[in-house]
Amino acid sequence: MNVAILGSGQWGRSLAMLTAEAGHQPMMGYRGDPPRGFQGSPNLAALCREVELVIVAVPAHEVRGLLEVARPGPQNRVVLATRGLEPETGRWLSQVVLDETSCLRVGALAGPAIASEISARRPSAMVAASAFDEVAALTQKALHSPICRIYTSNDLVGVEMAGALVRVLAVAVGVADALQLGVGVQAVVVTRGLAEGRRLGKALGAAEGTFSGLSGVGELVAAGKHPEHPGTSVGKRLAAHGGADEGIAREAAALLTLAKRYKVNLPLTEAVGAIAAGKIKPRLAIDMLMRREATSE
Amino acid sequence: MPPDPSTAAPPRPPPSAALPAGVSLDELRASLLLRARARLSALPDAEVADLLSEAVFLERRRFADARGGLSPEDEDERRAVERASRAVHQSRREQEAALLALVDDYVGQIHNRFSPRTYRFATTVLPGGLSRLLQAGELRGLVGGAHDPLQRIRIEGDLPRLQRLVRSHTLMLTPTHLSNLDSPLIGYALYAAGLPPFIYGAGLNLFSNPLMAFFMSRLGAYTVDRRKRHQLYKDTLKDYSTESVLRGRHSLFFPGGTRARSGEVEQGVKKGLLGTGLIAWQEALRIERAGGPKARDVLVVPCTLTYAMVLEAETLIEDALKESGQRRYIISDDAFSEPRTIATFAQQILALDASVIVCFGDPVDLFGNPVDEAGRSLGHAGEPIDPRAYVCDAEGVVQEDPQRDRVYTAALSRALVHAWSRDNTAMETHLAAFAAYRLLCLRTPRRSTWERMFLSEEERTLPRSALLAAIGALRDRLDALVLAGKLRAALPEGPKRDAETLSLALDRFGRFHREACLSAVGADGVRVAPKLALYYSNRLAHYGLQDVALDVPAAPRPLVESA
Repeated sequence: MNVAILGSGQWGRSLAMLTAEAGHQPMMGYRGDPPRGFQGSPNLAALCREVELVIVAVPAHEVRGLLEVARPGPQNRVVLATRGLEPETGRWLSQVVLDETSCLRVGALAGPAIASEISARRPSAMVAASAFDEVAALTQKALHSPICRIYTSNDLVGVEMAGALVRVLAVAVGVADALQLGVGVQAVVVTRGLAEGRRLGKALGAAEGTFSGLSGVGELVAAGKHPEHPGTSVGKRLAAHGGADEGIAREAAALLTLAKRYKVNLPLTEAVGAIAAGKIKPRLAIDMLMRREATSE
Repeated sequence: MPPDPSTAAPPRPPPSAALPAGVSLDELRASLLLRARARLSALPDAEVADLLSEAVFLERRRFADARGGLSPEDEDERRAVERASRAVHQSRREQEAALLALVDDYVGQIHNRFSPRTYRFATTVLPGGLSRLLQAGELRGLVGGAHDPLQRIRIEGDLPRLQRLVRSHTLMLTPTHLSNLDSPLIGYALYAAGLPPFIYGAGLNLFSNPLMAFFMSRLGAYTVDRRKRHQLYKDTLKDYSTESVLRGRHSLFFPGGTRARSGEVEQGVKKGLLGTGLIAWQEALRIERAGGPKARDVLVVPCTLTYAMVLEAETLIEDALKESGQRRYIISDDAFSEPRTIATFAQQILALDASVIVCFGDPVDLFGNPVDEAGRSLGHAGEPIDPRAYVCDAEGVVQEDPQRDRVYTAALSRALVHAWSRDNTAMETHLAAFAAYRLLCLRTPRRSTWERMFLSEEERTLPRSALLAAIGALRDRLDALVLAGKLRAALPEGPKRDAETLSLALDRFGRFHREACLSAVGADGVRVAPKLALYYSNRLAHYGLQDVALDVPAAPRPLVESA
């Protein structure tokens, strides 16, 4: 099977490696210099016409622009290997695919797989989610190998939500780490983050167990342990040097808008949003979280 | 909003070439039995036994629960079910035979007997007769002897395009559903729009009058018995629809399944019958690939029906407020069961300008994509796309995947919900009711919806000035929605509309319901009937009007909040 991977950064190349490991032919769609060691084309639209499965591996803010160029069609299955919401609009990335293309068969790939570890051929696992069974199954077929287990799920909403929330919660993990608050606080972030994910997921109609799986807790645990995790890195930077991170601030704001609409309380996300917007010092945010009214678990 | 050039097309005879040919019962029976046999043969033994057991169990319960005894037809059905029940503990072969015997009976019950002769008679003689009937008595004074009340039904949409597409495509018309009057209304609208008759599923209760039954079945209606809730019957119904679409017959059904109890524009659909278009189209593609005739593409036409007043409003909102409302499909004791009431209502509503609107929306393909003038599917950038790629592999072979098809049908249903909402017209009655009910909510913020239905007369009497101010604020939002293409129109059009809205709403509400939804109290007050106000306000429930800031009218006396 030929698989198009749009995006030739480290993450895209890792996915191409997994595709080859699973016995398929990765075709990389790139802009600029061709990636070494892989077949590919800068003509993304032509690439999409040649394959069934298209995996998108560019940052969230680039997804819409990429789709406008690649224009996957009714024959394609588009799987987003990009976590988070579109920063400018707060829309789910799967919705961006439906907005921009005539492709209906959309899925998402998420989980605690880290590019550098895949490159080092360390074992990992991810979940491929789509409302279409065939999309999840095709993604599993394309990427499942002895070095990476791919699980399937029908809960696209839950997996996308987990991917977005974990990016924000990972910032809290990074903050706690940089402030040297101890492993206890990191565990609190993971478990209370899990509670936030469950609440929001339930409101959105996601399956109950999704946030406890690879795309939620799985990735949050990895974020706490891996120094290069993007969210954790942002948290460490904000705690050490102050300032703001517009992307995380927007994503947190989008999640909070969603939470408000469904009357769900997300205190950790709110705190990260305020830190990332530069409205509050990280230490003060932690203090305020600890001083919240006592409640039951 | 400028006048719609396509509005109120004069009645004209339909293109006779597009009249569906009557399909003989024997031919249809053979096809449907073939489908049922194929489906049964794919099931494991346990599921065949379950299918039969469920049919027998649910039918027996229906007969046992029948109030007032069984009709002769029900008695025949009971005997058939008892015959089938003997196979429950027998071999698979006997069970399949029993199930097929039931299917055989159901085909006969469902099948319509479309008659071009009856259709021509009905469309040439009946509209005039109906018009004369509607002008009888007191109405004559209202509308003038020569005026045709049916002309007051506004037919909107791109009718010339539909008239073209109906010749080249198979159309599935999917209207919103508010009233039992919808079926005859759509039948008339199709005729007035210059479209041929569509087959449609009509509830058994609509066939209770023998004369009505005669005409309905010969004008395209097939029978849907919603009392039969077992899977075997539902499958037969779906097969009937699939077979009809496959044979190129234009069909009509209400995807909402039943009349919207709350009065809102439906936000969800039942996907069973809606999905039969995709099944039939894929069958046609397979036939084409096997050397058969070219598959005729299927298009879905959303249709939004809007009434200033709804005949059964009181019963429907009562039902919506009950917990079991959604499951009570057949209401036998509502306003529609009284022929004189129907006639009075029809006279009343057709005496008013712009009180009934049938809006044929833009057709979409089976995946919810828009189509061009020629019915070709379009992508998001307006580029033509090949819808076959959604279901075929690279070699053009249809890939069977029922799960995939269900998700596609969900995408189609979202497109329909969007279209219904966009093609809705906010009428005076809806806006005034929305403003009044919203003010009641703001005045009694701690009351539940249920408690609000029992407010005292003082509590539910609003100052006229407050209601006018609320109508003005809400109208600004409605106008913005119209400009943004999210709502078709907000009536009345033109300047000084707030006072006109209220006076028109008071006039219309005062014409029919037992208790007027809004009624004037002295010179400065308007009394609200909360249930009806909730019902009519729900028509505008999904446009974000709840966010419009309104001044809360002072309560006429201190309110005593319930515990």
